[in-house]
Formats: sequence, structure tokens, C-alpha cells
Amino acid sequence: MNQPNSIASAYSPPFKIVAKYFIAAIVSFVIMSFILMINYNDINGHHFQPKILSITHIATLGFITMIIFGAMFQLVPVVLEVKLFSTILAEIQFWIYTIGVIGLVYKFWYFGSELSFTLPAILLNVAMFIFAFNIIASMIKVKNWNITGTFLAAAIFWLIVTAIAGILLAVNLDHPYIKINHLQYLKLHANVAFIGWVTMVIMGVSFKLIPMFTLSHGYDLTFAKWAFALINFGLFGINWIMHYADTGIYNLIFGITITIGLILYLIQIYIIFKKRVRRKFDIGLKFSAVSFSMLGLSTLLGFSFLFFEYENITNLTLVYGFMVIVAYISTLIVGQMYKIVPFLVWYHKYSSKVGIEKVPMLKDMFSEKLAELNLYLMCVGIIISVLSFLSEINLFLLIGFALLFISSVIFSFNMIKVFRS
Amino acid sequence: METKEITKDQIIDILRTVIDPEIGINIVDLGLVYDVSIKDQLIDITMTLTTPGCPMHGSITDWVRRIITMTIPDSTVNVNLVWEPKWTPDKMSNEAKQQLGM
Repeated sequence: MNQPNSIASAYSPPFKIVAKYFIAAIVSFVIMSFILMINYNDINGHHFQPKILSITHIATLGFITMIIFGAMFQLVPVVLEVKLFSTILAEIQFWIYTIGVIGLVYKFWYFGSELSFTLPAILLNVAMFIFAFNIIASMIKVKNWNITGTFLAAAIFWLIVTAIAGILLAVNLDHPYIKINHLQYLKLHANVAFIGWVTMVIMGVSFKLIPMFTLSHGYDLTFAKWAFALINFGLFGINWIMHYADTGIYNLIFGITITIGLILYLIQIYIIFKKRVRRKFDIGLKFSAVSFSMLGLSTLLGFSFLFFEYENITNLTLVYGFMVIVAYISTLIVGQMYKIVPFLVWYHKYSSKVGIEKVPMLKDMFSEKLAELNLYLMCVGIIISVLSFLSEINLFLLIGFALLFISSVIFSFNMIKVFRS
Repeated sequence: METKEITKDQIIDILRTVIDPEIGINIVDLGLVYDVSIKDQLIDITMTLTTPGCPMHGSITDWVRRIITMTIPDSTVNVNLVWEPKWTPDKMSNEAKQQLGM
């Protein structure tokens, strides 16, 4: 008899390492929602405030980037058919990164404390460089390259740019005499993080996962290629003007380029959805549909910043950040977790039992009703929060954030159910 | 001892028990099984997946092999995973199409 041809298990990294990143990310998500809720009174006005910066980094580093690390350790080997270069490095990275996140979040919150900004920033940079090395060393051995690989490679480049901009900002906070334009650098750091790193990952992974989940066939990826070219061109542009040119007209050109790129990406996603064979949207795809709509709205709002200053609406930058982090990115992550985590746990626990005993379907591994409630509360929470930011009625903000917190608890409860099934 | 002859229909029926856990439809109705050929106790199965780089890659072929050898212990199973011809939705059975709301 032939030896089993276990390609997936040969390429997948140990479940333990991916699970560790996912669990840390889910814990961060609940902590972030809780802290947001109990500090609702402080979340207004200018975005450069200790508590807002602290919460933003729980979200971006503790939740979003943590989950992307875990997902990439799983997906890069499976999608590109190559083994992860080193699981030991992934393990070491986890601890350095986690200590770095806790340090930075603490320092932002207690802005005047003794701890330096530079120290946690160094830890985060070391962790991110280890990650970049680990993934690139894996990618070098890929035989069948595909579009997902191209997007992920670009994303890693922008992660490193984000990290370097981050450490410059940290050093500048410790030693203000360096005299970089802090708010300009902060803008670059945020743009590169959200568009270059997070969105580039989302784009690359979505071209693999969305057709897989929807059984979409017979579409071409022309819009995706143009989106890639325009967004990367625009990102190089905004880095260039930061250092070598005046903003003004260039800012407008590169801003428009990135906006068109993001719109082309959304058109590509629409085409993939349109060509789907699986007509009914399951919970993961419902979350994704909300997320892509929110990406559209956030893109338009971001685009409008190129032309209007909105001096009368003080909270608009906060609305923008909230839309990007919670409405667009977090809804997508939560939705994709409802697809990916059950699959990984199922694969880990039941794959070897197929044919020997009865195994569950993926959707039976969590409560679908609770997942629907999770989606509903998250959407209502987002709408109420945005309206209260705009109307500046803080009590509504408490209601919005409380709904988001409850939805994050429901999400983590469902994920615990998956891990235990 | 004379062994009972294995038929193609018998193999197809066994393959109907291999269900894609994500979609909830068996691999025969999904149109993933392209060919089954039987020569004495050697069973050759040519099949595909809905997309290359699918996370199920590898596992489904393992399940196919395991389920057949468990049902027909004397058999030798060979699974060829192919990407040509590409899987398309029209390869699915009418039942599968209905289940997906096509």
C-alpha cells in the first residue's frame, strides 16, 4: 500500500504555535474592548493622548498584528506549499513581541513613568525582524509562486517600515531634541501600518480564502494587480514626500493613487463574490461583507481628508481610526476567525478520525446563534459609537462601547467552545 | 480463497462517505472524483480539489485511502491528485448545486 501523502500536515506548522498567537490576540481584543468601555469619557478630542494611544496599540499590536502573525504562520506554508523556516523562531518571537506590546501599552498609559519608550520599541522591532526573516526564509523555497505570496511579501516590507517609523517615534518621545516632525511621522507610521501592512495582508489572504469559502470560479485578477501596483506606488510616494519633498500636491497625487487602488480592490472582491457558487452567506462571510463595506466608507472618509480639514468636527480623526480599526479590520478578523479556528482545531483533532468515527462539521463547533448575536451587537455598537463621536454625546459612547465589549465576550466564548470541541 | 470482485459503484458509494467538513457535501457530489479504475485489488482514484493550495490538500486524499482500505481491507489504493482538468462548479451533481443554492 502507498504511504499516505500528507501534504497539508507536512507543510502546516505545529498547531500549538498558531493557537498561542490566536489566543493572545483574542485576549487582547477583550481587554481592549473592556478598557475602551470603562474609559469612554476620555475617548474624545485630539488623537494624540496617552490613553487613546495606549488603547490603539492594544488593538493594532495585541490584537490585529498578533492574529496576523498566527495566521501567516499557518497560511504561508499551506498556500505557498512550503515549510515554515523555523517554529523555534516563531516561539521566541512570540515572547519578545508579547513583552514588547505590554511594555509599550503600559508606557503609553502611564506616559510620565520611568520606563522608556525606546526599550519596548526595540523589543517590538526585534520581534518583527525575526518574523520577517522567518517568513522570507520560508518564501525563498517556494516553487509555485502565486498572487497571495506577492501581496504578503509586500506586506512584510511595509511591516518593517512601520516598525522603523515606530522606533523613531519612540526615540523621539524619549529624546525630543531629535526634532523630527512627530505628528507627520505618526501619520506615516499609521498609514503604512494600516494600508501597507494590515490591508496588504488582508488583500493577499482574501484572494485565497474568499474564493475558497464561497467556491468562486471563473474570474480574473486584473483589478487585484492594479490595486497592488497603485497602493504600493502611493505608499512609496508618501514615504518619499516625508523625507524629500513638500507635501501639498504630492500628498494629493499619492493619496488619490492609494484611494483608487483600494477601490479597485473592493471591485475585485465584488467580482469574486458575484462569481460565487455557494450562494448563502455563512457567518464568516456576513462579517466579511460588513468589513468590506466599512473599508469602502473608511476609504471615502480618508480620501475626503485630502480636500477638507473639518475644523468644526473635532472627533473626526477618532472616527476615522475607529472605522479602520474596529469597523473594517476587527469585523473581518472576527469573521475569518469563525472560519479559520474551527478548521484548524478540526484538522488537529478530527482529521485522523475521518472514516473511523463520526466527526463534526465545522459549523457545529461553535454556536451559530451566538455568532449571529456577535455580529449584530458589533454592528449596532459600531453605529452607535460613530454617531456619538460625531454628536459628542458621551453617554451614547458608553452604550456603543458596552455593546462592543459584550460582542467581544461572545466572540471569545465561541472561540473557547471551538478550542474545547 | 476467492475474493469478491470490487465494483466501481461500490467504490463510488464508499467515496460518498467522505464529506468536506467546510461545505458539508461529499466529494462525489462535489464532482471532485474524476475517475475510478480497478484492476484486481488495485484501486486507482483520480481526483481534484476545488482550488490548488486548499488547506484540505493532502487530508482528503488520506481520508479516501483510509476509508477504502478500511472497507475493503485487501485492497491497495492509489490516489492521484490532479489539477487538469480544473474543477468547475458545473461538475457538481444537481443535489450539490441545490444544496448550495445555485
